Amino acid sequence: MSVFNPQENYFALLGVPETYEVAIPELTSNYRALQREAHPDRFANGSERDLRLAVQQSSFINEAYETLVSPTRRAAYLLKLAGVNSDMSSTTFQDPEFLMQQMQLREELSELHDASDPEQALDVFYRDLDEAASKQKQAFSQSYNQKQFDIAIAAYAKLQFLEKLRSEAELKESELLDY
Amino acid sequence: MALMQISEPGQTPEPHQRKLAVGIDLGTTNSLVASVRNAHAVTLADLDGEHLLPSAVHYTEAGETMVGAAALAAASEDPRNTLLSVKRFMGRSYADCSTAAGAKMLPYELLDQGQDMVKIRTRAGDLSPVQVSAEILKSLARRAEETLGGELTGAVITVPAYFDDAQRQATKDAAKIAGIHVLRLLNEPTAAAVAYGLDQQDEMAIAVFDLGGGTFDISVLQLTKGVFEVLSTGGDSALGGDDFDHAIADWYVAATGLQDLDMFQQRSLLTAARKAKEALSDANAVDVVLGEIRVSLSREQFNTLVDPLIDTAIRACKRALRDAKLRSADIANVVMVGGSTRVPRVRERVAEWFGREPLVDLDPDRVVALGAALQADQLVGNRSGDEMLLLDVIPLSLGIETMGGLTEKVIHRNTTIPVAMAQEFTTFKDGQTAMAIHVVQGERELVEDCRSLARFELQGIPPMVAGAARIKVKFQVDADGLLQVFATEESTGVESHIAVKPAYGLNDTDIADMLKSSWEAAATDKDARALREQQIEAESLLQALSAALLQDGEAMLSEAEQQDLLAKMEVLHHEREHGSVASIAKHIEIVGKASELFAERRMDASINQALAGRRVDEL
Repeated sequence: MSVFNPQENYFALLGVPETYEVAIPELTSNYRALQREAHPDRFANGSERDLRLAVQQSSFINEAYETLVSPTRRAAYLLKLAGVNSDMSSTTFQDPEFLMQQMQLREELSELHDASDPEQALDVFYRDLDEAASKQKQAFSQSYNQKQFDIAIAAYAKLQFLEKLRSEAELKESELLDY
Repeated sequence: MALMQISEPGQTPEPHQRKLAVGIDLGTTNSLVASVRNAHAVTLADLDGEHLLPSAVHYTEAGETMVGAAALAAASEDPRNTLLSVKRFMGRSYADCSTAAGAKMLPYELLDQGQDMVKIRTRAGDLSPVQVSAEILKSLARRAEETLGGELTGAVITVPAYFDDAQRQATKDAAKIAGIHVLRLLNEPTAAAVAYGLDQQDEMAIAVFDLGGGTFDISVLQLTKGVFEVLSTGGDSALGGDDFDHAIADWYVAATGLQDLDMFQQRSLLTAARKAKEALSDANAVDVVLGEIRVSLSREQFNTLVDPLIDTAIRACKRALRDAKLRSADIANVVMVGGSTRVPRVRERVAEWFGREPLVDLDPDRVVALGAALQADQLVGNRSGDEMLLLDVIPLSLGIETMGGLTEKVIHRNTTIPVAMAQEFTTFKDGQTAMAIHVVQGERELVEDCRSLARFELQGIPPMVAGAARIKVKFQVDADGLLQVFATEESTGVESHIAVKPAYGLNDTDIADMLKSSWEAAATDKDARALREQQIEAESLLQALSAALLQDGEAMLSEAEQQDLLAKMEVLHHEREHGSVASIAKHIEIVGKASELFAERRMDASINQALAGRRVDEL
């Protein structure tokens, strides 16, 4: 088993360039190749020590992949690498347009209950979320590349808001559709 | 019988020898064991040719444990000591079990253990569901060892995708008690996809639609060059073929206006409903009959009855696809698992929604065990070259209790495992040296709506001012979905060792006790058999000698010889009733020796008698 370095840069580990614009197919294919070697299943009949190491190493690879594959977590990780504090509490961002959009989305979400076809209304809501998120991703990528970290942090904060809305929508979805 | 063979992993003597590994489907109603033979996975039959082992355990009055069909047969006559569907109690507390649907109809005496796993009172003692499951596993392992002719290296045991940490831990504990080395706990749907050999193909998304008697599971898998990834799982733990039967029964009651059915009639009606459902797989209409009242049910009507139930399943499919970030058109294969997927309407609706015909070639009852066998074969190293890798996800989020009884999620559901996540905590009082942590599993925001997994106290925190300590708690979930927790105080580097006692699992002492009682039971069983054998031997010797003495004693033995033999027989007779295995054996030998002369003389006499009156040339 190869030496395991928990300090290793996720981008380096997964063999993709350190930018926001990650080629997901390449990332995923490299990830799978790594897991093939590291997964505890490869040591199912091995010693307990090997197995324990494999669990650690495989967990680390999973963490690296899940961080980079998620647009929001990838943004946070890049900010961390750049030494920028992206802590939400220290971020003051004022953007009336985005706040307006937030309010609209929240309203849309709260009205789902009364929709004649809640499933369809949910689909529309998710699409709106995706659209809003895609704008912020673009904003993050651009500002990060130009080292305009203030703008990047704001875009990241907005992505987080949108993600939070998504998980609220998912919760609502299970209530509405009675899973 | 290798009852307690716990081999040190990795210490197998001959590396090139083919290792014996099996896949076990430990089911609610039936269980199966399968193995790869001649490059094909096959389920293994018992001596009667039966592949399905009813998941039933019966504890007899004589102190024996019966498993399978024989146990099932005792269910009606001795329901309290015949345990069925024990899988439903695995890793569950009394409160969980008593609120579950149908719990009131159970004939068992369930014992409330508070937060701990429920126990069941039987004549064999108060048993944990883990011990009962261990009996089923033992029976399957024995079948496999007898069929395959050797000791098992290990087994892959399947669990439902929705099983939480406590239920997985309970399953693993059962295997430990049964003396089985668990190579991997595998999600049932993943096993099913493997059974279809889909891992041989290059790249595709697969949906596994598993509709059993009482539960529905949907899983979305991604396959890429031998790597199986579970992208998402979902389902409904209270939806299954039994609901189809109930729908027919309700329809019958509505159609006939019958009222106040007693329990026996209800049972008969449900049986009739199930038969009708099965018949409708081939026929266009059947009669549902209860007593004198006969009502015809067409397949079309039946479809209307079950459509709402199938709608629920389809909605769960939709959600699982959304979690997997896929659309139904992205799914290249739909695998059907579970007996209820034999219902044509289910196949129709699934085909319609996914836009393709589902895979139904393999027996939906056996497909899970077959896939587990393939995986087991690979994990012990029998299969090389075309290795597949199964990446599973955690089915339910793991979190911790924060202020106000709220849950803070540490690991989200559908995260690929193994996974480790760290969370930092701090002290809120000056000089605080201990901190209580409550780990829960579930999606809900309130702790009380989630499942409590473990409560533990971090001790030995160096005393500091409030907020200065930085305690890093690491949650490690292994490839089987089992959780471990580690903690370190970061600022001083002090490691706090914490023993996580899963609230619903068994701690190591419990397991050790169960192992011991399993050992003792095995030893007692063996002793009992040896004693019976000696008793039988003594009995037959005494009978034969008595008969011989009656016939030839006076003629062939002196008075003293007769008295001596009779005295020794008397002692053996006494020992047979009250003596130990060793003393019975000793007296069998004494009596045998004492009767040697008598036996010789009888032999001679019978030869003489045979020869008497015959001419030499006749011989």
